[in-house]
Amino acid sequence: MGMGMGSDPMERLVKLASESAVVIFSVSSCCMCHAVKRLFCGMGVNPAVYELDQDPRGKELERALMRLLGNSQAVPVVFIGGKLIGSMDRVMASHINGTLVPLLKEAGALWL
Amino acid sequence: MANHLIPYALLHGMNVPTSFINQEGSAFDFGELEEAIVLQGAKANLLTGRTAATLEMFPSWPMRYRQTPGSSKSGGESTDSGSALNTISSKTENQFEPDSPISKKASSSYHQAFDQQNLQQQQQQQEMASDPSRTGTSLNQSAPIVKPLQEKKRASTSEKQLDAKTLRRLAQNREAAKKSRLRKKAYVQQLESSRIKLTQLEQELQRARSQGLLLGSSGGGVGNISSGAVICDMEYARWLEDDERHMSELRTGLHSNLSDTDLRLMVNTYLSHYDEIFRLKGMAAKFDVFHLLTGMWTSPAERCFLWMGGFRPSELIKILISQLDPLTEQQLMGICSLQHSSQQAEEALSQGLEQLQQSLIDTVAGGPAIDGMQQMAIALSKLANLEGFVRQADNLRQQTLHQLPRILTVRQAARCFLVIGEYYGRLRALSSLWASRPRGRLMSDEQPCQTTTELQMVQPSQSHFAHF
Repeated sequence: MGMGMGSDPMERLVKLASESAVVIFSVSSCCMCHAVKRLFCGMGVNPAVYELDQDPRGKELERALMRLLGNSQAVPVVFIGGKLIGSMDRVMASHINGTLVPLLKEAGALWL
Repeated sequence: MANHLIPYALLHGMNVPTSFINQEGSAFDFGELEEAIVLQGAKANLLTGRTAATLEMFPSWPMRYRQTPGSSKSGGESTDSGSALNTISSKTENQFEPDSPISKKASSSYHQAFDQQNLQQQQQQQEMASDPSRTGTSLNQSAPIVKPLQEKKRASTSEKQLDAKTLRRLAQNREAAKKSRLRKKAYVQQLESSRIKLTQLEQELQRARSQGLLLGSSGGGVGNISSGAVICDMEYARWLEDDERHMSELRTGLHSNLSDTDLRLMVNTYLSHYDEIFRLKGMAAKFDVFHLLTGMWTSPAERCFLWMGGFRPSELIKILISQLDPLTEQQLMGICSLQHSSQQAEEALSQGLEQLQQSLIDTVAGGPAIDGMQQMAIALSKLANLEGFVRQADNLRQQTLHQLPRILTVRQAARCFLVIGEYYGRLRALSSLWASRPRGRLMSDEQPCQTTTELQMVQPSQSHFAHF
């Protein structure tokens, strides 16, 4: 994963988000992050997970995520096909209303 | 000599004879007065004349005799001090001490002052005699012991002026006495109405408990419920009342063959009604997440099948599928897909919560090297995550309910909400039946048929026991 020195955290975010079909920004100790990971795994999806607490510039990314979402919880955040889906509540809402699976298929994360 | 006699008179509430009171001039003999008092008792506060009226508010209070020099002013002032208690403490000034100055002094000015006192006393007596609210607790206090300090002040003016002043003082005393009586009346009325309100509240509480809506009172009572929980339960009870109303509207709407548009309005209203409970739960989660998680906000039978502070959406959908009329292929697929998605989401959340629990256990179990305070701090911050899980679970519930009218016809959606409402109503009824069942005889012949019917109605949800 390319980590350009001096690149703007928001740019980094966008870059990382587009490198995989499903990208999850997480913190290793966060239990809700664990839940969202389990959700995708349970659906047969293999997401790319970035543990921000294990990234030397993770704090910057966290702040950028908070700004992006407009709330105090930086993680978990899900990108599908490079597009921002949101936090756990948005992910679940889209799963229930049936829009999540088509998105996953479109991004090539799900077959069948 | 006078000292021990006077208290006797006071304690026995004897009336002061009026015969000697109108004596004016310096010929007045203190000893004579005392004698008269002994014979017929003294009434009211001879010193200031302001006291007996308010005293009767608390007839059983022990009278304290304290000398508070300079504290007695004109009669009206003491009663302006608000509470009756203040009045009592402020007026119990007369102290019986063996070395009280009163028994000794015999100056003319003193006597004149004493006259004035007696005059006041007479006025007050007459007033008190005419007041039906006076009980026998006449004189509990003051002796004919005058404070030389204040009386000297008055005694310095001429007699004529004294009379005018006296009259004014008497009028003030009457006013004060009247005010005190009114205050007493208001206070007693307030007590009475509070008592009634308390009884009513207790009855309501009992009723709510018996309906299984509130935490049982086994020993703990209100003390064990947080105020956030109490509010939550109250709001939930109100929501249930609204629910009844909405359900009967839906029922009427379905049976009266309303147009689809009108029915859709009703369905949307019902959805908003559900949004309301999720909003309430969201607030309750901030104040008392354990109250929600442990299901104490809901009835025991519902609590039994609780998932993350509420109903399990996939279970609800299972019930609905069995109750709905023949579904089209598309509708069936939609409903099954909804059930499936819900199950996956529930599983994910459950696993997340499990990880939180494990992490918490590790923290609380601790280790030899962990500092106690730090351990607690870490545990507290982990506990804070519970709110997030309850919130997500409620979010899932809310989304599931909103999805129903999207995949079903409006009539089917209306029927769904009725089924849901009736199902939980039966669970609540089951809770109270269970709570009031005769102990030790679960399935006896003496049981009313209603119970059996209830059991039959519960049949379809037998699968829920598996989850328990």
